[in-house]
Amino acid sequence: MTGTLSTSSQSTRIGATKYRATLRRTLIACVALTFVLLVAIVATALIGSERLPRTATLCALASLGRSACGLTSDQFDILFQIRLPRILLAAAVGGSLATAGASYQALLRNPLAEPYLLGISNGAAVGTMTALVFFGANEWSRPLLAFAGALVATFAVYRLARGRAGATPERLILAGVIVTTFLSSVIVFVTTMMDVTRIRSFTFWLLGDLSSTSEALLPLSIVIAVAGTVLLTANARSLNLLMLGERDAFDLGVEVGRVRITVFLVASLLVGSSVAASGSVGYVGLVVPHLVRLSLGSDNRLSIPAAAIGGALFVIVADSVARTLIAPRELPVGAITALIGAPLFIYLLRRN
Amino acid sequence: MIKYGDLLAVDGVSLALNPGDVTAIIGPNGAGKSTLLRALNGYLHTSAGTVTLDDQPVERFSRRTIGRHIAIVAQEAELRFPVTVIEFVLGGRYAWATNAAWGWETQNDLQVVEAVLAETELTRLSGRLMNELSGGERQRAVLARALATEAQVLLLDEPTANLDLSHQSSLLSVVRGRCDNQKVAALFVTHDINLAAQFADVVLLMKDGRTVESGRPTDVLRPEVLEQVFGVRVLVDAHPISGAPRVTPVHT
Amino acid sequence: MFFARRYQRRHQPSRTLFFCAFALCLFSACGAPKNSNTPAPSRRQITDDSGKQVSLPPQVNRVVSLAPNLTEIVFAVGGSNQLVGRTSYCDFPAEAKAVAEVGDTLHPSLERIIALKPQVVLVSTASQLEGFTRQLQEHDIAVFVTDPHDLDGVFRSIDQIGDILGAAEKAKQLTDALKRRVMILAQKLHVAPPVRVFYQLSAEPLYTAGKDSFVNDLIMFAGGISVTADVPGAWPKYSAEAALATKPEAIILPTGGSMGDSNMEVAEPLKRSPAVLNGRVYKINGDLLVRPGPRAIDGLEELARVLHPERFK
Repeated sequence: MTGTLSTSSQSTRIGATKYRATLRRTLIACVALTFVLLVAIVATALIGSERLPRTATLCALASLGRSACGLTSDQFDILFQIRLPRILLAAAVGGSLATAGASYQALLRNPLAEPYLLGISNGAAVGTMTALVFFGANEWSRPLLAFAGALVATFAVYRLARGRAGATPERLILAGVIVTTFLSSVIVFVTTMMDVTRIRSFTFWLLGDLSSTSEALLPLSIVIAVAGTVLLTANARSLNLLMLGERDAFDLGVEVGRVRITVFLVASLLVGSSVAASGSVGYVGLVVPHLVRLSLGSDNRLSIPAAAIGGALFVIVADSVARTLIAPRELPVGAITALIGAPLFIYLLRRN
Repeated sequence: MIKYGDLLAVDGVSLALNPGDVTAIIGPNGAGKSTLLRALNGYLHTSAGTVTLDDQPVERFSRRTIGRHIAIVAQEAELRFPVTVIEFVLGGRYAWATNAAWGWETQNDLQVVEAVLAETELTRLSGRLMNELSGGERQRAVLARALATEAQVLLLDEPTANLDLSHQSSLLSVVRGRCDNQKVAALFVTHDINLAAQFADVVLLMKDGRTVESGRPTDVLRPEVLEQVFGVRVLVDAHPISGAPRVTPVHT
Repeated sequence: MFFARRYQRRHQPSRTLFFCAFALCLFSACGAPKNSNTPAPSRRQITDDSGKQVSLPPQVNRVVSLAPNLTEIVFAVGGSNQLVGRTSYCDFPAEAKAVAEVGDTLHPSLERIIALKPQVVLVSTASQLEGFTRQLQEHDIAVFVTDPHDLDGVFRSIDQIGDILGAAEKAKQLTDALKRRVMILAQKLHVAPPVRVFYQLSAEPLYTAGKDSFVNDLIMFAGGISVTADVPGAWPKYSAEAALATKPEAIILPTGGSMGDSNMEVAEPLKRSPAVLNGRVYKINGDLLVRPGPRAIDGLEELARVLHPERFK
């Protein structure tokens, strides 16, 4: 299967955005990005607030933890019990948020749709807070209630944004602002009801904190990130059509209602699991899908998996900054993603 | 009978589309023409009466099946993401994907699209972004996408609205050609009565959601009828070259 | 035309009002004694920890405390009858709960404080209430700022508050007694090797005591050394890796008191530290360790006892 249609179209091709996505191109892009991701994982495993010997660390990583390669037991613990799990969590969170963002943008036909800006992250945060306050002991209550919170927020935004003419971009952003600010107030209210010692730690968590060391929730986050990306990519072709117009998609044979429900459910699950694990990490779902679309085109069959891997990369890098910039103290990773993401977003807006 | 909430949009319209026929629906604004069109592919529900495809009610079919048999050419929605012409037109092949989940376009899909792009004279522009095209070219792309679905029924909602004369004519000749050669049934809604007169086999005149007249152009396009429906005095004569009725409004 | 006339008519009553207000101002300015530059001879001046001179009447009977440690000091010098307002976090001694609340330490209520008509408001820099302090001063309420960040600061605060409340004698007795206890402790801990201590404020997220925290001083006096003593800030969020690398010999978990039953478990990265392996994890009432007041000596003694049990046989 070739990618070109006729030689005459080659002369009008300008830039990579004009290439049509094919299976081969998608696989090549994803493999390349995965390779970069693996390099990033290894590179960031080498840096941290504690110095680890470089060659020994590389050797231990290559052996996948079976051999200590000369690392002391403390260094081995730091690498495999603290650093690597945190990097993997960062990847899961980044991938989940970027994929959710890309899907919301396609489904809602709005390049600015993002879990944080639409208030869905806040909904998940309220869910998590409820779980902490009422079901504190049960670890699984957090992702579950976060998912529920994200779903409620999605529903609220969607209903608010529906006008006679469907959800125009302006209405959607407005609805997102309303939901976000309302839920932020709820969060502030609940926070002030907490005692002083809890307030500080909670505020930090709200800004995005990947330092939680839950043994059970890390595999859950990874599984959800991967499964969610697969499910959303499976709807990618339908999303391609939905991206160009709901009515047009309907005319061309897309089961609009079914796709919409699936995307909302899966994306809410992705956002819920990220927020439950690490608080609100903003801008990932906005910046990464944009960069991916600019360089690889708007075909969701390529841009959704690419965004997943790109999102993982972005948050891994941001978290490395968060945990090394003022070591041994830490910054919330959400602050770093916002510092990188906001100017990047402004730059992207101006380019278009 | 089709309703928008409590508003009765269409009531008492019956029509049949036969393969190879081009039907035109004309009428004043608010007559319910576009509403009727939208009901024909199942987008709007009828509160009374049924829409059938090959004698089966439309609700019985899956969206995908309907997509293979009925295609709509409408005013294209605002494009908010960059997409090339060829990607856009390939969207028409969605209904034919066997593995719709991870469906990638087959060789056959590419061939169909190539042919359709040639038919609508868009081959030269196939690599360009849709946003870079003129209004007329974009409309042709929308038609190309509808033709790519290989549907037996083609519904067009004011397809010539933004086109210049030459493109109006070529677009409708493409449609006419399809109907004649591949026995496609076409239905187009238009404001341009003369276009309807030239290209349609059957003309349906609607007003306030009801059929006023239906039949061949020469039968339907009579001055008394047109004056009653549009409220404007008209002069109807025969077009010197094509012989079709030619309607000229009289502005005094 | 109609507009202009309406505008004119609306202006006239307010013009009269303006004149009246102006006349009133002149009257009050003439009548009241100017007290900004020349203090009335019966008032005294005390310098607070921010370097400001606070003007107080000779007898202070109405005092509001905006920090739990200051409330404890007021009660300890016998000023319970002079305390008219406290924060909701001021829970010790038990009698304090009978005093009117003016809000919490983060956002005290200006209205409530004004309604209580205090002669001076006691503020601690640890509460970070600079903006609120300015508001109080704008309403002509005297504010006394304390900044006790070490043990010496505690004694100074006790003396200052004793001075303010007219209980200087009682205050001196108290500080003497406390200083004696500290000296006895110093003797008991003479040349004891310092124990490396990790102070865990909360497990998740992991917070510890930094350079500017009060508990640092206590740990030092108790014969220990905080492994995070050089980390900038008072309560920094600490990296898990760094915590693991500190390998403390003892871990202090402040819990109970106003902290309730939170912070009862050692944070994950410390679970294999020498402190845990040797069973040297100690839960101490947090209020004794973070409030720079008389109970800090109690906290100091408890710390010393767990860090150097062999000296207390």
